[in-house]
Formats: sequence, C-alpha cells, structure tokens
Amino acid sequence: MTNVGLLESTDSPLDFELMNETPAALSSEDRVREFEELALPYTRLLFGAALNKTKNYTDAEDLVQETFAKAFRSWHQFQKGTNLRAWLIKILENTYINMYNKKVKQIGQDSLNELEDFQVGGASSLTARSNRSAELEALDRVASKDVREALQNLGEEFRMVVYYAIVEGLSYSEIAEVMDTPIGTVMSRLHRGKKALHDSLKEFAAEEGYDVTPTREKKAAEKAKRVEEE
Amino acid sequence: MAEINCEETKRQVHEFVQEELTEGEVEMILAHIAHCDSCEADYDFEFAFSKIIKQSCDEAPPQELADRIVKRIRDINSGEEQH
Repeated sequence: MTNVGLLESTDSPLDFELMNETPAALSSEDRVREFEELALPYTRLLFGAALNKTKNYTDAEDLVQETFAKAFRSWHQFQKGTNLRAWLIKILENTYINMYNKKVKQIGQDSLNELEDFQVGGASSLTARSNRSAELEALDRVASKDVREALQNLGEEFRMVVYYAIVEGLSYSEIAEVMDTPIGTVMSRLHRGKKALHDSLKEFAAEEGYDVTPTREKKAAEKAKRVEEE
Repeated sequence: MAEINCEETKRQVHEFVQEELTEGEVEMILAHIAHCDSCEADYDFEFAFSKIIKQSCDEAPPQELADRIVKRIRDINSGEEQH
C-alpha cells in the first residue's frame, strides 16, 4: 500500500486520516466479496422459490435478481449468525409484493376456519393405513413435472407454505415471520396444502395407470386368477 | 424416559423429517415408533412425500442469471445504480 510510505515519512495526524480512508474503500470491495460468498450460494434455492411463486421462468429470474439487489443494499442490516436463508426469503416475499403490486392479505375469518380444520384433522394421518406401502410405490413413480403441476395448482398461500416447509426446510416460526402470518395459520396451511397435494398426486398416479391397491390383495387376486385359468 | 402417545408422535412428523427437534424429542419418537406400526408408516410416508416434492422443485437456474446478479451487485456497489 502506498500509504505506508507516507506514514514513515511523517507522523502528523493527517496521515492517519489518510490511512483510514484506504480500508474504507477496500471494505466496499470486501462487502461485495462477502455478499457473493455468503448470499449468492442461495441462488438455486431462491430461484426455486421464485419459480413456485411466479410460475414462469422470466418472472422468476427477475424476482431473484431484484431480491439479491435489495439484499445487497440491506446487507449491513443482516445479523451474522442468524438464518440467512430465511432473511433472503423474507426479502423475496417483500420484493414480490412490490414488483407485482400484490395486496397483502388480511388475516380474517378464513384463517380462523383454517385453524379449526387443522385442529380437527391435525393428528390424523395423511393416508389410510391399509394401502400405504403400495401407495408409496405409486407416488414414487409420479413424474417430477406432475408433482410440480400439482404444487402449482394449489393456492398461493398453501403452495408457498408447503414449499418453504418442505423444500427450503424453514421452521414454522420462520415461515410465520417470512409470510407475516400467525404460526397456527402456517401449520394449518401446511397440513391442508399437503393433503390437497397428496390427493392430486393420487389422481396423477391413477391416471398413469398405477393402482394403489395393497400389494397383498393384488397378489391374492393374481393367484385367484391363475387358479381360475388352470 | 417419559413416553409419548400416537397423537403426539404424529403431530411432530414434519419437524422430525425436517430435523428441527431436540435430541430428547427425537429419542422419544424413535422409542414410540419402534413398537408402533401405524406411526412408523406415517413417518415413512412423510419421508417419501418430502423427497418427491424436493426432487420436483430442484431446478438449476440458468448460468446467465448468476452472471446478471453478479454484474448487478457490482453496479450497485460502484454507485452506477442509484437507490
């Protein structure tokens, strides 16, 4: 650094000020480097979230770019050691509202109904027990594009809660924070969203011709058929 | 160790799969599942369900997007773009 030479030649306070300016200029470069190192690895995840939100590639790319631009401008506000993923998603949610001028939904009677539904169905399992393993196999064969289509057919609130909870792995309280809704609503939406998703995946499986009858019954039926033929 | 029932076990399935529970909570659930087929099946289902959803959503953004973001950030940093 050239300032070192200046410092050696004189001890006046002015030179210390000069020296202090250099790290400040450098730190701007460091800020970029730090942001690129810490935040940019989330591009893929944010793109997934954006794709789920906007349902098309062009808008998703714009949304991700705007999110990072905004995140970079607010980088000094990010508290190191807190969840960067959740912080970025919160910015993505806000950016989306600004970009598409979406009205923020008021929490009203709907959420109360959701909550009741959740409490009623909360502990019940997603599937009837009898044909579950066969169903797992059938579900496994549903193509990714069909899963995505099923996800996109869900209402936005349900779709995003399912996405944040399952794909991004955010906790209930993080989702509540990100989407600005009470935790009870998050849990209710997740439960209902999963159930709706599960129902439409079953339909896809059925359309593809995979039946979801339990293996044991199927084997018995095959055996009976064979006996008949003989 | 305190035991938990089916209702409590099933209620925590999502958090279990997402690895959000404490060691103690996980132990209690594992102890319950070890002798409860119904809850075990629920947990198996949740794992499989989460897996296919994750797989379906895993899409790489175009490289061009990453380049655009880097350029945008550097523009902001150099003051070429005003707030």
